[in-house]
Amino acid sequence: MTTKRGLITESFKVVKKARRGGKREKRPTPSPPPQKEADTGTVREEELQKLRQFDLDWRFGPCTGISRLQRWERAKLHGLNPPEEIRYLLSQTHTDPEYNLR
Amino acid sequence: MFSDLSAQKQGSSLLSRPASEDQGPVFERLSLAYSPCSERYKVGERSFTRQYAHIYAARLMQMRPLLSERAQQKWDVPIRKLCDLQTGEQCCIVGTLFKRMDLQPSILREISDEHNLLPQPARAKYISDTDELILEDELQRIKLEGRIDRDKCVTGSVIAIYGAERNDGKFTVEDFCMADLPLQTPRPALSSDKFVLLASGLGLGSSQADSMLGLQLLVDMVTGQLGDQGEQSGAATISRVLLAGNLLSQSTQDKDASTKPKYLTKKTQAGTVEAIRLLDELLLQLVASLPVDVMPGQYDPTNYTLPQQPLHRCMFPLSSAYPTLQLTSNPYTANIDGVRFLGTSGQNVSDIQKYSSMDSHLEILEETLRLRHLAPTAPDTLGCYPFYQKDPFILEECPHVYFSGNAPTFESKLIKGPDGLEVLLVTVPEFSSTQTACLVNLRTLECEPVSFSAFSADDDDDSEMNISH
Repeated sequence: MTTKRGLITESFKVVKKARRGGKREKRPTPSPPPQKEADTGTVREEELQKLRQFDLDWRFGPCTGISRLQRWERAKLHGLNPPEEIRYLLSQTHTDPEYNLR
Repeated sequence: MFSDLSAQKQGSSLLSRPASEDQGPVFERLSLAYSPCSERYKVGERSFTRQYAHIYAARLMQMRPLLSERAQQKWDVPIRKLCDLQTGEQCCIVGTLFKRMDLQPSILREISDEHNLLPQPARAKYISDTDELILEDELQRIKLEGRIDRDKCVTGSVIAIYGAERNDGKFTVEDFCMADLPLQTPRPALSSDKFVLLASGLGLGSSQADSMLGLQLLVDMVTGQLGDQGEQSGAATISRVLLAGNLLSQSTQDKDASTKPKYLTKKTQAGTVEAIRLLDELLLQLVASLPVDVMPGQYDPTNYTLPQQPLHRCMFPLSSAYPTLQLTSNPYTANIDGVRFLGTSGQNVSDIQKYSSMDSHLEILEETLRLRHLAPTAPDTLGCYPFYQKDPFILEECPHVYFSGNAPTFESKLIKGPDGLEVLLVTVPEFSSTQTACLVNLRTLECEPVSFSAFSADDDDDSEMNISH
């Protein structure tokens, strides 16, 4: 009934996407912002912290597979009052992949 | 009604000498204002990387305010989230139903059970006595017991339940409610009878050759080539034809073609090619005299997942030259002379039939209207595009005519609601097996079937067309 076939990986090579690494960074709880760093570093760290808090807020639905802005807009559409601050942050930094991750 | 109109002068003009040498009377085809509203079922960018969690989340986000309001009206108790549920407290919960079914086909089970199991047999119904009903909200889930019909419910419907949690962690349901009918824009009063003809399941390209005669009779009746002047004047009041899916027969879908090696199938032509050519010729006769909406169905050459996108124009080289040919998406919605039509080709209904105890297509159709959701079982057991922003299958406005195609029999029902709300439910029968189409009167929202009987092997009567009630 079943014909023996090779593994699928023989015809399609296993390719790891580069963005996997970025995705994993999203999850671990970030360490408190180091005090000794320069101001810009701390601000950036704080902003990213806020965005991660937004990611983890269950009221706005699942966060995988869509960008933060898309998730924010969905929450807005359904009247869930997502924080304006997040949208502001995202609109300021829309070219930075670390801010807008999917 | 339509049959009364055509019976006015039954046969009289055919049995008499032609009145004069020149042409008989000309009946103007009544035209209708038409505005399609199918944008919500268009899929623009197609990204299949997302998971289906979003569609359930969006569905719950959209339905929660509606259901909370209903629940407040019905029972005056606090609405709780599952996470702050207290044992023994009477309360109300809004959430998505999930039915755990042992018989539900699962590809994962077939792979993970490493006993080389035979594939599970196809069944008519996948419900069993061991099914469990579970309610989920954003964070948690809870098993349900009590006054809720387990077999009737389907996965994916958003409801509000009333009751209390017991010590063993199960929730005893005392009552539940659905979102019920949405608001309806009143329909304008029409001065004369106008009809829209609904047909589905033409089943072209099937192996039975005799199915074409009934179809040709239908086309001739609509285009006014049949009957005497009374019938022709009746046919002129048919202002639009709506073909609800499965224009091609299931047998055009050749399952072998995808598994056979290329060199064997290189010279064979797909069964759909000939069938589409036939369809093009049929449509040509129709679109030359009145506007036609063509919806794709389960077996038609377009995408499989709901919402099905319109068939491509290039498949109809003859009829697509006419502006009267409208190729539409599968959940179909349009305003025809102010009467709002909404319907599908029937996949949603037949899927619910498989996963619940309900058998009648009409009953299921009404249930989906009360749930305020076209296809609750999508994406669980019904193919569906992974939407994330909103669930387009939620009914935001109540249609006046709500139909589903490819039903085994013709059924219709007029539902009346508060504030003069009226909805006509129609299950459009499969034409290839029943030779029946149906006519909806836009003025009165009445509906009647039109049957065609023709020569068949077990029938010695003459070929006759009868427009029966």
